[in-house]
Amino acid sequence: MHDASTLATRPIPAAAGIGLRAPHLQRVLAERPRAPWFEMHSENFFGAGGAMLAALERVRSDYPLSLHGVGLSLGSADALDGEHLATLRALVRRYQPGLVSDHICWGAIGGIHLNDLLPLPFTTEALDLMVSRVQQVQDTLGREFLVENVSSYLTFRHAEMTEWEFVAELVRRAGCGLLLDVNNVYVNSVNHGFDAHAYLRAMPVAAVREIHLAGFTRKTDLAVPLLIDSHSRPVDAEVWALYAEALDRFGPVPTLIEWDQHLPELEVLLAEASRAEALIDDRRARAA
Amino acid sequence: MTAAPALRELQCGFAEAVLGRGGDATRWVTGAGLAPAARLQVYANTIAGTQIDTLRGTYPAVLALVGAEFFEAAAARYRLLHPSTRGNLQGFGGAFADFLAALPEASALTYLPDVARLEWLRQEAALAADAAPLDPTAPAVLDDDEPVRLMLHPSLRLLASAHPVLTIWRYATAPAGGHLQLDGRGEQVVLWRDGGDVALAATDAASHACIAALASGHDLDAAQADALAADADFDLAACLRSLIAQGLVVGFTQTGERTT
Repeated sequence: MHDASTLATRPIPAAAGIGLRAPHLQRVLAERPRAPWFEMHSENFFGAGGAMLAALERVRSDYPLSLHGVGLSLGSADALDGEHLATLRALVRRYQPGLVSDHICWGAIGGIHLNDLLPLPFTTEALDLMVSRVQQVQDTLGREFLVENVSSYLTFRHAEMTEWEFVAELVRRAGCGLLLDVNNVYVNSVNHGFDAHAYLRAMPVAAVREIHLAGFTRKTDLAVPLLIDSHSRPVDAEVWALYAEALDRFGPVPTLIEWDQHLPELEVLLAEASRAEALIDDRRARAA
Repeated sequence: MTAAPALRELQCGFAEAVLGRGGDATRWVTGAGLAPAARLQVYANTIAGTQIDTLRGTYPAVLALVGAEFFEAAAARYRLLHPSTRGNLQGFGGAFADFLAALPEASALTYLPDVARLEWLRQEAALAADAAPLDPTAPAVLDDDEPVRLMLHPSLRLLASAHPVLTIWRYATAPAGGHLQLDGRGEQVVLWRDGGDVALAATDAASHACIAALASGHDLDAAQADALAADADFDLAACLRSLIAQGLVVGFTQTGERTT
C-alpha cells in the first residue's frame, strides 16, 4: 500500500475520461485501457477497508482520479452530516484526487435521507445556505470543491431567480469550482422551457473545471414530454451540439462520460469519450 | 396565492409527499403543463427505485427465495418504515431481517430472517477495516500466568441459526438448478473477508462458542470454557490453528498490553 505522503496529486487533464463503475473495475485493473482519467463515486469507498478500497488504490496509482459525491446533501436545511464529511475528508487525504465534487441539490431532511439529487428552490435563502455549506466543505477538505448543476423535473413557484443565476452566484460567492453538466442543462432547458444557450452564457468561464456528458431518456406517458437524466444511453445529438458550444466558450475542459444504468461494455464508454476528445482536440488545434 | 415556504418547510413537505405521508407539497410546485403531483411522483419513483435496488443488491438470497414481486413489495414497505438515514446507501437496510421477522406474509418462511441476517453480515464483512494477520512464525514472549486475549480480524462475523442458514443461502444464490436437501438442523456460520470476497463457512457449535467469546474480548481460558460447555471434546489448539491459517488472528494482548 502507498503511504499517503508519497501520493502526489495528479491533476485531471483537459481530456475526456469516463465514470468508472464497479462492473468495469476488474477489466480496467487487468487490461489498463488507454483512458486519460477516471471518475468514481466517493460513497462507494466509504467502507473502512476491503476490495473496493484496494481497487481504488490501484486505479489511483495508474490514472488521474476524480472523486464525485452524490450524498453530501449540501442544500439541506439539516446540518451537514459530520460523519459523511469526515469520511470524505479522510478519503481525499488518502487518495489525493485531482478533483472533488458533489451536487447543487438536497437529499435529506429531518435526518431522513431520500438518496436522490433533489431540486432546490432558487431563492436567496437556499443560495445563502449553499454558499455557506460549500465554504464549510472547502474549509474542511482544505482544497477547492466543485459543485454540479442537476437535472430537475419540477421548479418551485416561489423561485426568486433563474437556475443559471443561482448557479453562477453560488460559484462566485462560495469561491468554488463548477462542474458543468451539459446534459443536465439541456434536460432542464426542455423540461422547464428555457434557453440552454443563455444558461451557458451565464456560467462563469474561469470557474468551469469539469464538464459532464450523459444520456437521457424521454418519458412520454405524461401530458408533456419530460427528459429524465437516466445515465442509461449514449449522449444525445443535441447535447453534443451544446457541448461543442460549451468548449468554444470555456476552452478545453476535462470532460467525463457518465453511464450508470444499463451499463454497456467498457468499449462503448471509451468510444463516447473519444468523440468528446475529438471535439476537445479540435478546439485546441484551432486555439494554437 | 400560497405563502412562500421556508426551505425547511419546503423540504419537509417534499419528503412527506415522496414518502407517501400526505401533506400538500403540490401547492409549491409549478405545473407547466403537468399536474404538480405528477412531477413529484417522478421523484417518488426514482427514490423508491434507488432504495429498493439497494436492498436487492444487499439481499440476493432473500430475493431469490421470495421472488421478485414479493421482494419488491416487502422492500417498498421496509423503506417507508425504516427510512434511509445516511447519504451513503451502504448503510441502508440493516433492519431488514427484523422487518422480515415481523412480516405476517413471510411468517411461513421461518428461516428467512436469518438468511437476511447472514446477507447483512456479509455486507459488513465486505466493508470492514483491513488488518494484517499475525505472523505465526514471529517470536512471542508470553507470561504463563497472565490471560491471553486475541484480536480477531475486523471483518470476522458470526451467526448462529436454528436453521441451516448457510445451506439455504448457497442454494438460493447458486446460478441455477440447485438441489436443496435439509435435515432441519441449525448451522453456525463464520464470515470473513478472504481476498476480494467474503468467505462463509459452517462451523461446529463449540468452535462457534469459542470464536464468539474471543471476538467479544474474553481471554483464551474463558473462550475454551465456553466451547467445552458445548462439546466436552473441543480442541482449542485446532480451533486456533484454523483461525491463524485463515489470517483471522491479527494480534494478541496480555495484561492489557497490545502486541501485534
